[in-house]
Amino acid sequence: MASESAAQPGKLALDTPVGVIRDLLGKYQKTGDAYWRAVALFGVLFALGIIGFIMRLSDGVSDKAVWGYYAAMFAFILTTAQAAPMVAIATRLTKAHWRRPISRAAELWTIVGLFNLILFIPLLWVLPSLEDGRRSLWFFGNVDDIPIYSPHIWATLALVFLVIAGLMMLWVSCLPDLATIRDNSSGWRQRWAKRLAFQWRGTSAQWNMQHHRLGILGAFYFMMLVFVHFLISVDFLMALVPGWIDALFPATHAANALQAGAATMLLTLFFLRQFGGYKDYITLDQMWLLGKILFALSLLWFWFWFSSFIILWYGKRPNEQAVLELLMIGPYLPVFMAAFILNFLVPLFTMIWNPLRKSLWGPPLIATSVIIGTFFDRIRLYVATYTVPGIGDPAVDKHGALAMDAITKANLPDLADIFIIVGVIGGSILVFLLATRIIPSVSIWEQRELLLYKVHKPFHRTEVMVLGKRD
Amino acid sequence: MNQRSLLGLFTDEDTAADALDALQAEGYGTKEYEVLTGTPYPEGTFGEAEPIHKLFRWPLIGAACGFIIGLILTTGTQIAYPLVTGGKPILGIPPMAIIMYEGTMLGAILFTVVGIIFESRLPRLFMGAYDTRITEGYIGVAVTTDEERLGKAEEVLRRVGAEDITRG
Amino acid sequence: MQDHIQIDHKDINRDLLSGVLGTPSWWLGAVVFLTLVFLAGIGAFGYMLNKGIGVTGLNRPIMWGFFMTNFVFWIGISHAGIMISAILRLTQAEWRRPITRAAEVMTVFSLMAALMAAPLVHVGRPWRAALWVFPYDFARGVWPNIRSPFIWDPSAVMTYLTASSLFVFVALLPDLAVIRDRATGKWAPKIYSALCMGWRGTPRQWKLQALAGILLSALVLPVFVSVHSIVSWDFAVNIGVEGWHSTIFAPYFIIGAIHSGVSAVAMLMAVMVWLWKLDKYIRPDHFDAIGRLLIVVATTWFFFFFLEWVFALYTLEGPELALRELQVFQWPYIFLFILFLMTAYFIPVPLWLFKKVRRSIPLMFFTTVLVNVGMWLERFLIIIPGMARKTPLTFDWGTYHPSLVEILMVASTFAWVALGMLLFSKVFPLIPIFDIKEGMVFRDEVKIGRRTIPASIRE
Repeated sequence: MASESAAQPGKLALDTPVGVIRDLLGKYQKTGDAYWRAVALFGVLFALGIIGFIMRLSDGVSDKAVWGYYAAMFAFILTTAQAAPMVAIATRLTKAHWRRPISRAAELWTIVGLFNLILFIPLLWVLPSLEDGRRSLWFFGNVDDIPIYSPHIWATLALVFLVIAGLMMLWVSCLPDLATIRDNSSGWRQRWAKRLAFQWRGTSAQWNMQHHRLGILGAFYFMMLVFVHFLISVDFLMALVPGWIDALFPATHAANALQAGAATMLLTLFFLRQFGGYKDYITLDQMWLLGKILFALSLLWFWFWFSSFIILWYGKRPNEQAVLELLMIGPYLPVFMAAFILNFLVPLFTMIWNPLRKSLWGPPLIATSVIIGTFFDRIRLYVATYTVPGIGDPAVDKHGALAMDAITKANLPDLADIFIIVGVIGGSILVFLLATRIIPSVSIWEQRELLLYKVHKPFHRTEVMVLGKRD
Repeated sequence: MNQRSLLGLFTDEDTAADALDALQAEGYGTKEYEVLTGTPYPEGTFGEAEPIHKLFRWPLIGAACGFIIGLILTTGTQIAYPLVTGGKPILGIPPMAIIMYEGTMLGAILFTVVGIIFESRLPRLFMGAYDTRITEGYIGVAVTTDEERLGKAEEVLRRVGAEDITRG
Repeated sequence: MQDHIQIDHKDINRDLLSGVLGTPSWWLGAVVFLTLVFLAGIGAFGYMLNKGIGVTGLNRPIMWGFFMTNFVFWIGISHAGIMISAILRLTQAEWRRPITRAAEVMTVFSLMAALMAAPLVHVGRPWRAALWVFPYDFARGVWPNIRSPFIWDPSAVMTYLTASSLFVFVALLPDLAVIRDRATGKWAPKIYSALCMGWRGTPRQWKLQALAGILLSALVLPVFVSVHSIVSWDFAVNIGVEGWHSTIFAPYFIIGAIHSGVSAVAMLMAVMVWLWKLDKYIRPDHFDAIGRLLIVVATTWFFFFFLEWVFALYTLEGPELALRELQVFQWPYIFLFILFLMTAYFIPVPLWLFKKVRRSIPLMFFTTVLVNVGMWLERFLIIIPGMARKTPLTFDWGTYHPSLVEILMVASTFAWVALGMLLFSKVFPLIPIFDIKEGMVFRDEVKIGRRTIPASIRE
């Protein structure tokens, strides 16, 4: 707590504005050896990813089956990193004070969204055009008249708008901090901060504008995120399996993203606390409250999955049985079980224990389980779907459904796939780490604002904390 | 046990807290006195110790009982009358899971409610000293002890500034 | 909450117990009227028992009509209590305080109304309904078939009813003590004393009340999700009826239930202010907060509605398209469909975007009534057109006209819920007394420069 660290000798008083600003600026400006070692490690992994991608390119873009793992990794980053900003947006909407130390780190993940946009580009060549006659979201009443690249165009536009909204939100959120950096540092940091801070002086008008714009941009980001998940989950996934009609699936895909986003943030917070030196800011409150949210979202994961499953299981329709076979109980059963256990059973049976839920290490541990589970879930969905033969194939009738015997054995990753997996993860973390060099990981102005609203005072024979609510 | 009780009424929190301190100073144990309020206060307002409870055991036991009953019910009824409907297996996990889940939750909730009532030390048959003004905003300090020690307690409460003293 | 009041405990007790310790002038008349409506419905039910289901408008292929629509509607309303009570409790929203008990009580009576609306009445032989649900072979070794959604239904609804009733009771304990201390007469003090089991208000009891609220909320929330999911699976697992076999039904129905339920609570708030003169406790701030919640809930509902339609049309299958054409373009469904869309979303939500509307009690009452009209129509439009186009043989397509029997029985369910709330208000306080007092104890202020910001104490 701020008062505890203030009591320690030699520590800057963290319950004064000057103390908070100096402390956070100090953490932002110095980078230790551990940081550069991490950058080197993830840089190497990213380089491996580039090698893997080139190896994959040599196979060409016409056969989408070999691009399954690539698509899965794109979806994995879409589900984890690009959903992490939701932690900042939702908590800002509900005016919760506990989000203050973590909102900047959440917004920083939008830069990884830019990286994911670049990853998306090859998929535009991998995904077949609508000429093969498969169903798509863009039916416009008359099937023959739709432009054959509709899915590609709309998904690209949506993803671009998502990334732009995210970057703008990050920038608007950073404005006061960029001004602080501009006024308190030197060298390249000072030059860039001056350019980006856009004459921020801290007038009432500027603060009001920032507050409103953050709200609007946050809401816009959320809507775009849901829309992107809608388009990707249908046109880049569901439509490739004839007979797979799951109205809930876009919502399931988006809900999985919310869960994985919360998990990504928990893990990020753990590392920021342990290695970034933010122990005074990222406390039990953040872990516990975000942990509760992760628990609720894990229950939601199960509910959405079961809602789809019971409908598909109950009717015993051939097309639905084929989908269940392909994605859950057939060749990908081990992958599905791993996802089920890690995304649902582990959070359920561990997070009901108070000592684990209300600890500094418990929620991040469960978050790791959820992230690994999400990884397996994306692999299961995308690799399995991309290996389904193209619609023109005799095993698949474009008006009918996937035939049971068209479901072959699981597609295991080859060396190029492993390099791609490792490279995408490494590249994302690398981008995040490099971003923290330019932008402080804990929002200085929000921490400063908290001091205005938080008061510790005696209440008869005990001491309580009083938290003011913003308008 | 010759337990009698005594209630001192106070109008503000600090005087009530002083009363608890004074009783402790005179040698009364924490089990002998307690504070009664008509509204919940933040923990520790009167300097009292945090109540220790084992409430969280109850939902777990209840859930386990409900789960077992659900399992027995679903498997038992289907084995007793094995009618294949819609090509689904007799002991199909999805429908069994639904009913077992409801049983688990019902068990957890029933046991939790019983646990809450029990851990609140209700029903309380011996009301002891009580005043209806407590639910109007007064704060009561109740002392439950042997007849001999009660006189001293009354003296302490009057000295601290009790509005009124009732015996029960 | 930006404005807050500090009221003396004596005044709170007097205000909130005015309905219990005294009787408002309009109360008896309202009870008599509602009882008459309710009895008319019972009479119609008796007539139907005697003459058979043929006195209703139900016939092949439309086997489910008003009764089923009403059943789903009341299950939907019953989700209000847990939404307001449990979710707002877990998110520590202060504005829930005056309305939790009324919402929870409405839940309990709505669930009973739901049971009256369908399972107990619209089966051909209601006296046998218990026999095929109850897990015992009453006749010839026939046990319930647990693979049927109609067996999942009772297990879920009874669990939810039990849980909600117990939740109301546990939260009522401190208020029963208040009434015990104030009641006069020969029997009343004894009964209330027995009911509150000797509650005195020790720190232990208050701590367990707080824990009870949180723990029971956390336990009832999954039940609340499961109940309406299971009710939706009554329709969705069915592959025979067009427009029903959609995986989205569970979340769609739940969010629809939250939409209609929270709107019903807002209606209830307005009624409480007007009839019991509780404007000191239920203020424009509360309507503002519930209005903002409704915007989010309604828009989420609309997203799921949109998803349902996209995937209905996505497959471009003939029978499904025939159903959708009936639902949207053919009389009388075209009128009902437009009315439904306008009342459920396109009139209320744009109005709620304005603060002035949200803070106006008559406007909030009006818009939330519209929402519930729309949501009743939504269930009607899912059930009846689907069954009208059920078979692939067009000469088996049918129409549906509700009869007086069905109308009276539907009206009686509304009368039942209103009657239940009125009778409850005579015996127990509708606004939780200790919750209001707790809110005042935990209120504080933070001074920032010249401004004073309302704040709350966090332990």
